Amino acid sequence: MSEPVLNEDRRDALQEVANLAMGQAATRLARLLDTFIELSVPRVQVVEVSDAAAALRKMTGIQETVSAVRQGFRSDIKGEALVICRSGSIDQLCALVNDPYPRSAYEAVSQQEVIFDVANVLIGACVSCILEQLGRTPVFSAPGLLGESMSLEDVFQPGLLGWEVALLVEVNFALEDQSFRAHLVMLMAEESIVHMNDALDALLSSL
Amino acid sequence: MNVSASLSDLVVERVGFGIFVLDRDMNVLMWNRFMQDHSGLSAEKVVGKSIFANFPELPRVWLTRKLESVFQLGSFAFSSWEQRPYLFKFDHDRPITGGVDFMQQDCTFMPLTRDREVVAVCVTISDVTHVSIVQREREEAVAKLQEYADRDGLTGIANRRYFESRLRDEYTRWQRYGGDMSLLLFDLDHFKKINDQFGHGVGDTVLREMAQRVAQVVRVQDTFGRFGGEEFALLLPCTPLEDAMQVAEKIRHTIGDEPVEVQGAHVPVTASVGGASARVGVPNYDVLINEADAALYSAKRQGRNRSVAFI
Repeated sequence: MSEPVLNEDRRDALQEVANLAMGQAATRLARLLDTFIELSVPRVQVVEVSDAAAALRKMTGIQETVSAVRQGFRSDIKGEALVICRSGSIDQLCALVNDPYPRSAYEAVSQQEVIFDVANVLIGACVSCILEQLGRTPVFSAPGLLGESMSLEDVFQPGLLGWEVALLVEVNFALEDQSFRAHLVMLMAEESIVHMNDALDALLSSL
Repeated sequence: MNVSASLSDLVVERVGFGIFVLDRDMNVLMWNRFMQDHSGLSAEKVVGKSIFANFPELPRVWLTRKLESVFQLGSFAFSSWEQRPYLFKFDHDRPITGGVDFMQQDCTFMPLTRDREVVAVCVTISDVTHVSIVQREREEAVAKLQEYADRDGLTGIANRRYFESRLRDEYTRWQRYGGDMSLLLFDLDHFKKINDQFGHGVGDTVLREMAQRVAQVVRVQDTFGRFGGEEFALLLPCTPLEDAMQVAEKIRHTIGDEPVEVQGAHVPVTASVGGASARVGVPNYDVLINEADAALYSAKRQGRNRSVAFI
């Protein structure tokens, strides 16, 4: 490799942007959900796609099967965001938006719809905040279920992706009083990393 | 639309999906032609009023929450027909061939922002009725294929693969919960002679007829399958060996009492039956099959047209 995809200055800048954005996202989520959701300090890493599953396993410590929902986001910086949690934790994930659905029995909501809603809210808040910091307003596609009981390796099938290097941003969510965790992963391909570099340069020079 | 309308106004007016805009109090700010045509309510009637004033049947809590998430997060929200078939009760253009009641809809809720502030939410409604119909047809086709995959082509009863999978499940259930379960194997006597004397066409008819006769006397909870050639198997859940052997006799009579009429010929058919029951010490369902098979062999040796239990 001739030159690192994301040099150290830019990586630091992105880390700072992500930190700020997560603070903002946490505030917005707390207002929306009436619960304080703890957002971890995001971890930023450039990985080969073939190493993505292993990198994520190391970050999250997940050995068991997971449920994964994906959603695309698009501006000149584009990519995919995933919400991943242990298959057994899906009920706890859904509980994040349990209000006010149970109180309105006449407006029954399926669990799948709740899963999509939660994933959409988490992804929307975090990805929008990061891209807003970079002066972008992304367009999102509808969330889709990757699987309810799959291994991390199945989530990232290298053969199916048209690119080799990805920028991985991992954030995890936890409720104050619960051990449950969900993970948000933002993946961007090489082409978007170039645009990301431009955006970070613009940000750095404006300081 | 007046002459000064911008190109984008004209597009929004004519485009083939629903577009409308709501403010934070759920008042309608914009209502395009698609919404007008399908709801029968013009923009003049709808704009400026709460969406619930004209559409009280909308899911109020759900919709308010969707809107609120867009306002608060400045991000998108979605609704898919797969979870929620429609938001508005609109008709669709396949009333005859469709088989669905209302237009199936995918909805997108987009933030409209000025200076980073969400000022309103634009909702788009896509008609995905055709997608839902194609998907339903595909699911039906898969279910039908699954059904065929479990059936024996000649007789229409369970094939050996499906029979064994049912036997395995039932055996596992028996191991866990106990009780009784029995297995009968039966074989048409001297079937090769029937084939040689009357031809394979007649042989096939005999197999079909026998499968049909037996299928009519088994209980719904039993699984009846063709094991191969002229050999059949019957799985009897919750049945002790003694009762199973009564069933064996009943089947033997069902097969043997009346000759089969094929192309004007009377073809006499008899069967031999072997039965076995699951009991402690039988380690797996293969052994159960072997025991029933040994009993069947014994019935053959004792002169055929009889049923024998493995003891």
